[in-house]
Parts: sequence; structure tokens; C-alpha cells
Amino acid sequence: MHAEPMGTQQAVIATRGLTKHYGPVHALVDLTLDVRAGEIFGFLGPNGAGKSTMIRTLLGFLHPTAGSATVLGLDVTTASVEIRARTGYLPGGIALYDELSGADVLSYLNDLQGREAVRRDELCERLQMSPSVLRRKVRDYSRGMRQKIGVIQALQHDPELAILDEPTEGLDPLMQQAFYSLMDDLRAAGRTIFFSSHILSEVERICDQVAIIRAGHLMALQHVDDLLARRKRKVSLRWRGSAPDLSELPGLADVVVKGDRIEATLLGEVAGFVRAIASPSLEDLTIEPARLEEAFLEFYAGDEASEEARG
Amino acid sequence: MNLRLFVQTLRWQRIRLLAVGLAAFGWGALIPTIYVGFSDAFREMVDSGFLPEELLSFGSGNFFSVPGALTLGLQHPLAIAFVGIFAIGATVGAVAGERERGRLEVLLARPISRRELYSTLMTAAVLLVGLIVAALLVGQIAGLALQGLIDEVQLGWMPLVFLNGLLLWSAFAAFGMAASVSFDRHQPALGVTMAFVLLNYFLEILGSLWRDVQWSQNYSLFHYFQPGEILAGKADPYDFALLGLAIAIPVIYALAVFPRRDLAAPS
Repeated sequence: MHAEPMGTQQAVIATRGLTKHYGPVHALVDLTLDVRAGEIFGFLGPNGAGKSTMIRTLLGFLHPTAGSATVLGLDVTTASVEIRARTGYLPGGIALYDELSGADVLSYLNDLQGREAVRRDELCERLQMSPSVLRRKVRDYSRGMRQKIGVIQALQHDPELAILDEPTEGLDPLMQQAFYSLMDDLRAAGRTIFFSSHILSEVERICDQVAIIRAGHLMALQHVDDLLARRKRKVSLRWRGSAPDLSELPGLADVVVKGDRIEATLLGEVAGFVRAIASPSLEDLTIEPARLEEAFLEFYAGDEASEEARG
Repeated sequence: MNLRLFVQTLRWQRIRLLAVGLAAFGWGALIPTIYVGFSDAFREMVDSGFLPEELLSFGSGNFFSVPGALTLGLQHPLAIAFVGIFAIGATVGAVAGERERGRLEVLLARPISRRELYSTLMTAAVLLVGLIVAALLVGQIAGLALQGLIDEVQLGWMPLVFLNGLLLWSAFAAFGMAASVSFDRHQPALGVTMAFVLLNYFLEILGSLWRDVQWSQNYSLFHYFQPGEILAGKADPYDFALLGLAIAIPVIYALAVFPRRDLAAPS
């Protein structure tokens, strides 16, 4: 699937037909997308879908087989050093220098970055990495603490673009909330975040736009709100007396009547549905919020069904 | 060349450098002592026909002259082990090892080109190798002084011996780095480099022990490390040029191949 690309002038990341093959393995296939300045872009897919390949191509670790990509207006194949100078990157399952302290790791990586660590103190405070914790050797850190160091090293120099590969992996729920709040603040400050994850709830919580990838193919590229607006919702209605027949109501499916209660799936827009059922006999109405998970599963189910049909 | 990376690379090696440097110094100092203690006995064994002379020669060295003993000390497996810790161990792990540990991408997420990374690590390896070779030679000079043999060697040639040793071990370091940038894992890089060094060593020792296949030494880089000849004032520029070429080839290969390689996620 191709979404219509926006103007590349405002795109912090722009790919056009980006393709990466490892021999017979097609890790990325004809990927075209744009990430606009100041947005949090969620890149969704299960393990092996091509998320890390995409990120590594953007950073110049991999060379595209076909197509092109620019980051901050710079070509990924010819200007990767310049791109990395203006980018913060958190690799998935980051490996650190066990023999150094947390503070030394941050200083060393920032020295190599060559920019002042203007956000380090704030990040350490928000992610609860106290000076005493930072003085300890990384080898003594828990997985969550390592992940926090990973997040801090990626953002400490206040990059224009942060590329974060599964950033909340290993963080406890409190730290996840702190991280989400941090993302909100970065967006407010005009920073761009490219965010890879397979945790749908967090993508739904913080992302503006989302791309869903499967086996290297782009399955969807939409704003989260648009994606959710078209999703199925479970609805439950309770009536005074016996329930009316709603099976003919447009946009409603899987209608099950249980006495005074009706359970169904709403496919269309909510406002029209509410108008259609408005009645003094209606005692209770519950509409479950649409979930990205359902959208995600739907894209995957659809793809699997088509593969089965082809097979 | 990235100065911060260079300094940190040396810092990580400092304890190992100190330990190996002291051991190399001690080994170097021991050689003149062994020469003084056993040279006459060895000569008698050879003269009496008890031992063939070849068995008391090792590579280009022997125990029948001070320069020969110094050469033997520098080509002995112990000396090779000391220098090899940095020329082989440190180089093969520099890229492939970091990649296997998942730390290469943390490093390359910074604005450092792969050529800059390679050049920095290669320079650090050459410096470390140079320090160990220097420790061996300083140890030998100290041993000569202790045994009162200092006048038997023209110390003015020592810098050239150092350069000759540095070139030899830098060639192996360059090969190790070339292997390191070629593989995703440490073990294959180590295996290929060890095989290369051992093959060179085998060809050199084989030729020194078995006169019929002396030609095999021509195919060994160790054969172009000739401290005895240099100390005798007979340094051959060809030896230096050939070792220089042996450095240049893997360096050019690595600088060409490493930036073009795909660095997929570590598995």
C-alpha cells in the first residue's frame, strides 16, 4: 500500500520506494512514507517485520537495494555522518559499556556526539537516574536502568530527530508514564520522534501518525485518529422493555439480542448511530473506545487471508 | 581519526598494556641472561655433535652471538604471544567483537564515519603494538647492561630494529583489523587471523629447522624481521618495504570494504 506522500520540504524523514533485500529475503519492499517535523511517528510491526531494517537504513548502517531515503533533507547513502550528527538513536536492546559507570557512558557517548548535553540533567531527573545510581558501573544495572541510560544517551544532546527502537522495553509502568510525558514535551518543543514499537497501546497513546509494516510491506500509513475512526467498536445497549430490532440499522453488525440488552459491532461513525437509536426507551449505552490493536490485527488478518487466497 | 575514541580505546587497554608490557620487558631482560648462562654449553653440544645446530637456531636467531640471541628472543613464541595480545587479540575484537556485543551500533550512531572508526582503531592498535615491541627491546637493553654485554651491540641500530618489529606486527594487526571489519562475529575473524599468523610462523620455523625447505621462509612475514642483521649493520631496505606493503594491502582492503558493508542488527 502507498500513502500519498506529503511535500518533502517539510518531511524530516522521506522514503521513496525504499527496498532492502538480503539475498532472497525481502526485508523492505517499496516503502514510501514521510515523517513531518514535530510529529511522533509510530512504526508498528511484529518482530521480523522490517522495523529495524528501516531504522538501520535511515542511519546508514544498511545500504538500500533500491529506492531512496532522506533524513533531515540529507541522503542516507551519502550523508549518514551528517544525519547522525543531528539525530539521537536508541537501538533495540541496547548494549552498553559494562566496565564504565552510567555517568561515564553518557559523557563518553556525548563527547563522541560532539554536542553539549543540554538535556542530560533533566532527563536523568525525569527518569529517576540519581547521581548515586549514575556513579555505579553499568554491569550492576538492571535491564530497566540500562534502558533508561539508552533513552538518555539518545536525547541528551537535544537532537532534531530521535529514532527510538522499542524505547519502553524493560521500563516499569511508572517509568513508561514518565517516558510518555517526555515524548509529549519533545513534541511540544518541535522535535520529531520516529518510534518503533510492537506495543500498540503506547503507540496509540503518544503517536500522531502510524505506519504498519508486515514482512517489509507498508500495510497502512495514517494518522492514529483516522485509523481509529474507521475501526470497529463494541456497543452495548439496554432498553426499557424488550429491545427493538436493530439488525437493519446501517453500520451495525453482529447484533445479538439478550432480553432487554443488545450487543453489536459498530462499523460506521458514532454520531449517526447515536442519532438513529435515540429513544426515550434507551436506558443505557456503552461504546467501547476503538483500539489500535484491533486495527493492527485487522491489517494482519486481511493480509494473511489474501496470502492464503494467493497460496 | 577520532581523538576521544582513540583515548578511550587506549584507556580500556591500560591495565592489560601495563601487565603485558612488564612481562615483555622481563622477557627481554632475561634473554641476555640466558645467553650468558647457556651460550657456551649450547656451543659445546653443537660442536660435540650431541645436537644439530639447527635445533639451537630459531627463525633467524640463535644462541651463539648476542645479536642472534636478541633475535631469538624477539621471535620466540613467548614474545609473539605478548605482541599478539594486541596485534591479534585487540584488533580482531575491535569491530567484529563490538558488533557481536551490540556496541558497534551505539558507536556508529554518533557522527563517526566507518573509515574514521577504522583509522582510529588501527592507529590505537599500532601504538599498542609499538609499546610492547619497545618494552621487549628496552628489556633486552636492560638485560645487556646487567650482563655487561652492552658493548657487543651497536645500540644506534636499535631504533631500526624497533621499526622493523613495529612493521612486522603492524602487518599482522592490519590483517586482524581487515578480518574484524569483514565478519559479523569475533570467532571467524580470530580464526582467520590466527591461521594467517601461524602459517607465517610455521613457514619461518620450518625453513630454519630443515635446510632443504629453507625457501619457505621467503613466504613468511617473520622472515623480514631481521634484528640480528640490523644490529650487524646489514639492514635490508627490501625487508622494510615488503612489510610496509603487507600493511598497506589489508589497510586498503579494510578502507574499501568496511564502509560498503551492510551492518544488519546483531543476532
